[in-house]
Amino acid sequence: MQQSISSITSPRLYLDNAATEKLLPVAQDAMIAAMRKDLGNAAALHVEGCCARSYIEDARAKVARLIHAQPSEIIFTSGGTESNNTVMETFRSQPIALSSIEHPSILESTKARASQVDFLPVDSLGRIDPKLITYKKYSLISVMLANNELGTIEPLEEIATNCHAQADHTTFLHTDATQAVGKIKIDVQALDVDYLSFSAHKIGGPLGVGVLYVRQGVPFRPLLLGGHQECGRRAGTSNTIGIIGLGAAVDWCWQEWSCKQWSKVALLRDELRERILNEIPYSSCNSPMRNCLPNILNVSFQGAEGESIQLYLDAEGIAVGTGSACAAGDLQPSHVIMATQHDAEVAHSSIRFSLPLDTKKSDIDRIMSVLPKIVKKLQGMSTIKLGAKHGN
Amino acid sequence: METKNRSWVYSDIVKEYFLNPHNFLMGDEELYACDAVGIVGNPVCGDQMKMFLRVEHDTIIDLKWKTYGCASAIASTSALSELAKGKTLDAALAIGPKEIASFLGGLPEHKFHCSVLGHEALAAAINEYRKKA
Repeated sequence: MQQSISSITSPRLYLDNAATEKLLPVAQDAMIAAMRKDLGNAAALHVEGCCARSYIEDARAKVARLIHAQPSEIIFTSGGTESNNTVMETFRSQPIALSSIEHPSILESTKARASQVDFLPVDSLGRIDPKLITYKKYSLISVMLANNELGTIEPLEEIATNCHAQADHTTFLHTDATQAVGKIKIDVQALDVDYLSFSAHKIGGPLGVGVLYVRQGVPFRPLLLGGHQECGRRAGTSNTIGIIGLGAAVDWCWQEWSCKQWSKVALLRDELRERILNEIPYSSCNSPMRNCLPNILNVSFQGAEGESIQLYLDAEGIAVGTGSACAAGDLQPSHVIMATQHDAEVAHSSIRFSLPLDTKKSDIDRIMSVLPKIVKKLQGMSTIKLGAKHGN
Repeated sequence: METKNRSWVYSDIVKEYFLNPHNFLMGDEELYACDAVGIVGNPVCGDQMKMFLRVEHDTIIDLKWKTYGCASAIASTSALSELAKGKTLDAALAIGPKEIASFLGGLPEHKFHCSVLGHEALAAAINEYRKKA
């Protein structure tokens, strides 16, 4: 199969939004406007400093509104990874339980700090069973709100209820909501979580800015020391421009977020799934049909390796993610697919579509005009005998 | 290596050999009559390569391959098949991983093992042939 003409003439189709979203025009505009102002160090008392601080506090209020928190409960960080590390620093040398499909920024930061780490199993769709957790054993339980590779939405409310039912309330709950914010409604009161992390660049904001929600009155220990910024909870000169971009993206989510719009994306995602399963032999779906983010679809193709599929699609102008080891620097297959499917070959052969809000039916048609041919070619040249294990 | 404004993770040569691979055996391998087969790697590890040789007078007159793996694995086998065709068995055996990677315009460090696997698959096929002969 030669590289098609369509890849030269068509605009690129970016379907790796779970990795990072394109910067929203409103965020870009807000940051450019802010860069043209004479903003000082937000910690300073002069006019320039006060002006920067007022922008930051405006953004903080917008974040608090989006997730139904108090502004004082919002800490700005450098991203989801720092937010997650900060929570684990707070619970240093204490027993912690994690879902086995957490992001590496949770897995590694916990392993480095906790006195004991237990990994909570998930079912074949990536869902935790809240009844299987021995809550009282842990100081902290950290379960992501939605998984980044599969889109699986975890039963956080039930976990929170059980967690906080402990007589002396000594088990706290953290959720990494990086993938969920902007895709589903987030209400920290309804979820009843103690800590929540997310990142600006997954919701159309800039890179290098994140949020940590810390419920009033729960334990906290700063990760970064050496300054009184963020009320002594996060040292370092405030990233005013980035925070302004985050505030604009969060405001856009608040103003423009529409369940109806994402429902349309979910329908198109479902159409893509059905067409893949029907039109591509030996394909299988790793994402759940229900309780899934509206924009994520993870599929595997027996005999076709994920990085190869990804790069053939890239040559056709379509960007997707993959759970293949080869695409990762460490040559390990996706720990998420390994935890759900227990099969390295399925993990190596997986790709993830993460659709944007403006997905159109013609985008699905475009994917399906090239994907079956790509998979057929790779399966045809593969050493793997098709049909031996999974697939249809 | 020039990295500024590069839009592809691999070299242009890897890209060409990956997108338009040479000498691969499409479909049922039983239909290709050959003198020896060599297989290395494991799908569980993410890469598996299989080489099919036709040999006459100690020379590889035709060579086909199958690969399950990433772009550098496919490009490595594709390039090696070009390099080995028409060579004596000893000359083909002498094509080492470095030569394959160099022919491809270089491979990222964590992908160098793909060129090693290619070399090993060909060596396995040649050893198989010599055992039979």
